[in-house]
Amino acid sequence: MKKYKLFTPVLSGLAMLAIFLGATPSASAGEAIVVVVNSANPVENLTLGDLKKLFLGDKGRWDTGKAVAPVMVVTGAPERAAFLKIVCGMSDADMGKYFMQAAFTGKSVTPPKDVGSAAAVKSNVAASPGAIGFVKASDFPGGTGIKAVKIDGVDASDAGYKIKM
Amino acid sequence: MKTAFAGLTVRVPSVIFLALSMLLALSAHAQQPPSTPPSTPMTADEVNRQLLQRVIDLEAKVKQLEEKQTGSAAAPLAAAPAAVAPAPVAPAPEPPPEVEMPTVNEVAPRLKLVVFGDVGAQGYTHVPDTFEFGSLDLFMRARLSEKISVLGEVLFTAESDNSISPDVERLLLIYRLSDYFTASIGRMHTWVGYYNTAFNKGEFLETTTDRPFMYAFDDEGGVFPMQDVGVNVTGKIPSGKLGLNYVVEAGNGRDWYPADEPAQNNQDRNNSKAINGGLFMRPERFSGLQLGFSVRHDNLTLPGPAVGETIVTAHAVFVNSNWEVLNEAAFVRHSEASGELAETSAFYTQFSRRFRAYRPYFRYQYFNAPSDDPVYINASPNTDVPLNITTFVGRFNGPSLGVRWDFTEHSALKFQYDRFSLRGLDSENGLTSQVAFTF
Repeated sequence: MKKYKLFTPVLSGLAMLAIFLGATPSASAGEAIVVVVNSANPVENLTLGDLKKLFLGDKGRWDTGKAVAPVMVVTGAPERAAFLKIVCGMSDADMGKYFMQAAFTGKSVTPPKDVGSAAAVKSNVAASPGAIGFVKASDFPGGTGIKAVKIDGVDASDAGYKIKM
Repeated sequence: MKTAFAGLTVRVPSVIFLALSMLLALSAHAQQPPSTPPSTPMTADEVNRQLLQRVIDLEAKVKQLEEKQTGSAAAPLAAAPAAVAPAPVAPAPEPPPEVEMPTVNEVAPRLKLVVFGDVGAQGYTHVPDTFEFGSLDLFMRARLSEKISVLGEVLFTAESDNSISPDVERLLLIYRLSDYFTASIGRMHTWVGYYNTAFNKGEFLETTTDRPFMYAFDDEGGVFPMQDVGVNVTGKIPSGKLGLNYVVEAGNGRDWYPADEPAQNNQDRNNSKAINGGLFMRPERFSGLQLGFSVRHDNLTLPGPAVGETIVTAHAVFVNSNWEVLNEAAFVRHSEASGELAETSAFYTQFSRRFRAYRPYFRYQYFNAPSDDPVYINASPNTDVPLNITTFVGRFNGPSLGVRWDFTEHSALKFQYDRFSLRGLDSENGLTSQVAFTF
């Protein structure tokens, strides 16, 4: 009995910790990040490698000849941090240094355009034929003039989708 | 006259009516004036009819709002507003304001300016301890059109006589046709090896406090042609996931007359142009990996007999957010018309790993030129290595050990220990500290 009492607070604490840890990521944990392009863009599928090239300026034009214009939500948005980590293997600071170094070496690359919200990402992508952006799956509905693209052949709603928060 | 029953029939629908109105008004985000409760008693049919009409009206207004939103999203940049005045509907909910982040250091609509600088201190065995100015580097970039841009870099460095003088490090007009073809003309950093064009003059971008000995700048005592005036063409080679790229350069080449500026900015000493070509690959499967080589040939006009120079470099580097592994090797052949040959070999290897803001690193470098090399005996003193310049014509090798601490996003403090072994001279130990920053 005494032993049981000793373990009770420990077990309770562990249980609370487990609940806390389990609850911390909240409902948005694992939420897919949908990659969106202008609806006039014929592309339907991109690889993770393609995405990295598009957002880091390593591929400047689509196959249609349109200039690639990446758009991102501003620093601090969780989907931005997750996207940069999964797709580019970088933090925000790393990306800043990358573009500084790219410009310094004479590369004609332009960093992605920062906008203030998911709605602004969608409106920017809708407005520019060469634009590409990303939003949380919960922010995707309601956009017009944009479409989601598959990543490595997998739709954002599928279990095997790789770009998740 | 109101009966009790009649009163009840009127009061209950009124409550429902109010609640429904509020719900509908809220759900539609329409700022409608609140429904006025009937001042006179109504029958149930009348109330129901009014409610139905109200719902129909609200549905129509919601539809109008949706159409308005759809239209604005589909054509957000429409040049002219609609000529027809919109129907008097409740104002649409305002979209979140788009926050355009200001471009860092955008001093004019087309011009971007980045400044690099470094200061520090060093102490070596055979030279007095000293604080040092380092450099101040003004880097400018402007886009003149969709395909044409300009790059300029002005550097202020301390000379061996302690004066500080400006130097136009780079000035390039760049034309980018596509990912497969970019041409530049002007004064450039040559694509001899990886390090020269990966880091240029940005000490903040470098992990170590200095360049590898083999890539020391030629106007600071280095022996390889790191700067040139000419043209450069670079681009991708369609190669799928192999990620092949090419570089071709033609320039005036390096001047080896002791009192002259190494880069032949205004007048080449001979008609022969230095030609450099290189290939490198960044395989998609191994993100961060780059493998490449370059071959450069020039005919050098010297105080003595003319010499043909061939420089072959190869590199294998791996760089990601945490790891940096740089490996480069070079082979130089100087051939005289008489058939005399002098061959120089050099390499360095550098490893570093980031731990949060700290990045410890290790570098080993080796440079070995024959004592009778007809070109390197003309080299000027190297300001990166405080040693007698005769060490250039000979062997120079040793390790460097250090740590870089990025104490802010745009500034780093570095400590580096060097130990150099030199043919015919005592070994040299040195400790260097450097604060490098950008803004």
